[in-house]
Amino acid sequence: MPDASVAGARPGLGAGRRPSAVGRAFRALKIPVGDPFAVIGLVIYAVFVLVAIFADQLATHDPLEILFTEDYQLAADQPAFGEFVLGTTNLGRDIYSQMIYGTRSALIVGLAAAAAVVVVGTLVGLFAGYMGGWVDRVLMRLADIAFGIPFLPFVIVLAAFLEPSIWNVVLAMALILWRDTGRVVRSQVLTLRSRAYVEAARVSGSGSLKIVFRHIAPNVLPLSLLYGSISIGWAILTEASISFLGFGDANAVSWGYMLQDAYASQALSRGAYHWFLPPGLCIVLVVVAGFFISRGYEEVLFPRLRS
Amino acid sequence: MWKQLATGSAVALMAATAGGPALAAGDEIREIRLLSRPQAAQPQEFQFVQLIAQEWRRLGLEVEVDIMPWEQMADLVWYNRDAWDVTAWQMVGRPERSDPDELIYNLFHSSTAPAGYNFIGYSNPELDAVVEAQRVETDQDARQALIHQAQAILSADQPNLMLVHPRSTYAFNASVWNPETVIDQSGIGIKNVWTFIGAEPAGDQRDMVLNSADTVQGINPLWISGATDSWITELVWDRLLRIGPDGLPQPWAAESYAWLDETTVEVVLRSGMAWHDGQPMTVEDVKFSFEAPMGEEVPMYAPFVGNIAEIELVDDTTIRFHLAEPSAAFLTATLAKVNLIPQHIWDPVLTDLATRPENAEDHQEEVPIGSGPFRFVSWRINEEVVLEANADHFSPPLMDRWILRIIPNQEAALGMLRSGALNFLSDYSGDPTVLEGLAGELAEIELASTTDIGFRYVAFNNRRPPFNDPAFRNALSRAVNRDLIVGAAFRGFAVPSNSVISPALGFWHNEAIDGLETGPDVAQSLLEEAGYEVIGGRLHYPEGISEALSE
Amino acid sequence: MAFVLWAVATILFLIFRLMPGNPLAAYIDPTFTEEQQAALIARFGLDKSLFEQYLLYLWNLMQGQLGDSFFYRQPVGSLILQVLPNTLVLALGSLIVAYIIGVIAGAYLAWKRGTWIEGLGIPVVLTTRAAPEFWVGMVLLAVFSFSFGWFPAGGASSPGAEFDGYLDLYLSWDFLSHLFLPALTLAIYFHGLPLLLMRSNMLDVMNEDFVTMARIKGLSEFSVVVRHGARNALLPVMTSFAFAVGYQMQGSVVVETVFSWPGLGRMLVGAVSAGDYALAQGAFLLIAAVVVVMNLVADLLYGVLDPRVSHA
Repeated sequence: MPDASVAGARPGLGAGRRPSAVGRAFRALKIPVGDPFAVIGLVIYAVFVLVAIFADQLATHDPLEILFTEDYQLAADQPAFGEFVLGTTNLGRDIYSQMIYGTRSALIVGLAAAAAVVVVGTLVGLFAGYMGGWVDRVLMRLADIAFGIPFLPFVIVLAAFLEPSIWNVVLAMALILWRDTGRVVRSQVLTLRSRAYVEAARVSGSGSLKIVFRHIAPNVLPLSLLYGSISIGWAILTEASISFLGFGDANAVSWGYMLQDAYASQALSRGAYHWFLPPGLCIVLVVVAGFFISRGYEEVLFPRLRS
Repeated sequence: MWKQLATGSAVALMAATAGGPALAAGDEIREIRLLSRPQAAQPQEFQFVQLIAQEWRRLGLEVEVDIMPWEQMADLVWYNRDAWDVTAWQMVGRPERSDPDELIYNLFHSSTAPAGYNFIGYSNPELDAVVEAQRVETDQDARQALIHQAQAILSADQPNLMLVHPRSTYAFNASVWNPETVIDQSGIGIKNVWTFIGAEPAGDQRDMVLNSADTVQGINPLWISGATDSWITELVWDRLLRIGPDGLPQPWAAESYAWLDETTVEVVLRSGMAWHDGQPMTVEDVKFSFEAPMGEEVPMYAPFVGNIAEIELVDDTTIRFHLAEPSAAFLTATLAKVNLIPQHIWDPVLTDLATRPENAEDHQEEVPIGSGPFRFVSWRINEEVVLEANADHFSPPLMDRWILRIIPNQEAALGMLRSGALNFLSDYSGDPTVLEGLAGELAEIELASTTDIGFRYVAFNNRRPPFNDPAFRNALSRAVNRDLIVGAAFRGFAVPSNSVISPALGFWHNEAIDGLETGPDVAQSLLEEAGYEVIGGRLHYPEGISEALSE
Repeated sequence: MAFVLWAVATILFLIFRLMPGNPLAAYIDPTFTEEQQAALIARFGLDKSLFEQYLLYLWNLMQGQLGDSFFYRQPVGSLILQVLPNTLVLALGSLIVAYIIGVIAGAYLAWKRGTWIEGLGIPVVLTTRAAPEFWVGMVLLAVFSFSFGWFPAGGASSPGAEFDGYLDLYLSWDFLSHLFLPALTLAIYFHGLPLLLMRSNMLDVMNEDFVTMARIKGLSEFSVVVRHGARNALLPVMTSFAFAVGYQMQGSVVVETVFSWPGLGRMLVGAVSAGDYALAQGAFLLIAAVVVVMNLVADLLYGVLDPRVSHA
């Protein structure tokens, strides 16, 4: 609930204001390029995606390799902008390379989690809204339960019991955070159901599945994507929190892992801002990019705000 | 030993099918799994494990570093003793480990291999005999010779890859505590009961404010819980003897003690002692304290009193302990270990507990009552424990209050030391170089770093080939340059180790085995001598040996 | 609601009990004999069948019994109650700050619709929302505590401070100075919700007829915004407060660790790392209960105060 609300969309409220036509949804799906925020968000994403793809070329070292100086001393606590772009950690790892590879983990976690939330949430919303009856009741009960589970504690418990892995976050989001998308999509579907063209399809004998996927789904997809773009940020923030608390994946270099390492090695006390700040700023950038894009969607979906 | 495991014909067959020059050698050695805990929890361990794996790979071994949280690792290593290859491990320094018996006997005697501390499954009749002999040798010099001999046997066998004894590093504010009165206990460091009693306020601040990253589990004289808890129990409760700053037991609540014969110790209780509730301490209380763990309700202390056959009260101040068999470690492991508890409080509690499934460990006193130099004042969970000086004690502390703050954030603890909110940094698991920097920057912060009794090592599973071959273990151990580990993983805050008896225990440590010769060339020549061969970049067993574990 | 709580409790039970390994592995001292180990297992009722354990667990829950902590060897309920007030105060304190900042700034941004202030304001707000809480917390600590020394670096009160009960503690200057940084950290993260809600409500309200009427009557712009706009936009924002309390309970998990705050979130993290299933379960359930209750309150308030949102 907070995830969407904060970006301005008000679940439940938005559902009443109906978009006009399929054409508008189509335009929205084409990504909200008209909105300057969204464009900035998209540019940020594009940059990070490129960094992730070309990480091997951009990185100067293996992010986990223990580095030594020429006289066989541990290359620890090297300052930024010297031999190493962002210096090294207290145990001799290259910070810049970790940051570059961290982009991969961040995008993998973010996109996978967003995909999971969108798919699960949209399907639940579609079926609950269209089928109604006991299907609706069961699914909404499940959503109630999901709303009753505190998310971060749940991820902690999951991460502690399963092997430490970045996929725990994705799993937890798929299990819990579909709830917001599910509810909003459902109420959207409820209003769409009674639309003339849906009625027409039904009268002409189309099967339920066909109606759901051909006529209703395209109309709710932009709404799902709005939630998806926020989920990317959520997943990255959650991964960082989990790492910070020590339940992270020790084998995957992520920004959360870097922050945890910096924190546990007293980067602030040693004044190693070149270690502590970059991963945090990367997280802020990627997450805020998601928010910007979601705002773009919102402006398209709820033009009222544009006044 | 490994020859028994070979199945000759199968080896020949496999070598033949593999073809090529492998004919003379045994099987290729399987991928070795090296267990370690996550970097987030154990940055130094994570670091040295990577370095060790790197060295071993140069010998032609495939090494997979397998990272798992402590619970999983402990479960695998302790309860599935046949199912692992090599693991990083550590032994922490505790005052009672000042006596070498616990480390040299429990870790290596074959009797503890099935379920006890010898989880590596080391078995050597020669060592068994020596460590059994030192146990009952009450003559110190003769015992020292035996302990030295045991260390020499272990050095030759290398059942473990001993790495380092860390230097535990603490700091305190010298403008608050007179540095002359902060005592460095051998192998334990400045965080010890002698400092807490003797530390003299240098100015107006008379409260010692310390930190611990770990929360306090309980304040209970009959439960051995977390490490932090033991700092508190040592202050609230007295013991007949205490381990002195030199690492040897000395009289405490006992005015004196004497061995009457090999199995009898006579103790004279100090007169005028009282419990914190005002009741006098009597020899009956002392007897009760040692008898309580003999029942069902105090399982953790039971092993320490198991050797007591009878406790005899000679008069109002004299107690005689009759032992079942001679024991050199009795003073350290029993008299200096068991907390003295008031019978009038614990007798009814234990009687009641006998009727319920709970035991003494579940009983948290509202206000714990001991007789020690500090009285309990308050405990706020996850926040702080406050003790105050017991002015009526025979050795009253100079400070007013002892306040332990629970600070999980090490960076914040450093900030507090800097600002004066803490004046004694008693727990620091961060990078010692940062602390060193802080001490260099602020004149009043004084650093104290001590070589630990405890140690970090890599344990070989001696049950499993190829680690059942001493030559192989020796080679793997010598492949690792300890100085490199000290520098690259411990940032210089450790000393190289080749013995479970730390150099901090000067009397017991065998210096003759220090300075193990290491290097890749040393390791390679050892392997060659033993018949191991590198074929196609991979290390193979000596001729006639097959890989007994085919997964 | 009872159904949701039951479901959450059951899911938790299954997660904790179906995990591989002996749940007491971390607590069985390797020097124990097999009988001692068995006794310990029996002590915590782990020798019974899974189904029996489950029934016992539900039965105890209904009576408010959460079992005994493996780690502290004390009843989970009393442990949790010791730290719960600290977490509630932190959550409420941070929310009050967040709502004050959020409501005022939200109204302001709505008023400045279409100006550069709004153009700058919205991205800034979204950015505060995008920063990891522990990271913000550490930066605040470094600046305001380590460098300037204005605030203590952790804990909920000064070493050895004594108070007569919770009220005395919570109203003391000592406590409030300890509360400031963690509450600020949470508030920085959370103020975006009331801010954006307030702003969009304001935009709604400002288009309503009665506001237009006020303008026509020639009232000053400030008066229109505050007296007519903000007052009417505020109610729905306040209803989100209830839900925010539940939400903030989970947010405190991370912040409590950074600021060494003796609260429920830190207890949960500690219990999970120590493998203390009983305590972790109890702490989790309590947080879940607060979340569920607050969600319900929020729903009810929405229905009462904002008739537009009748349940779809």
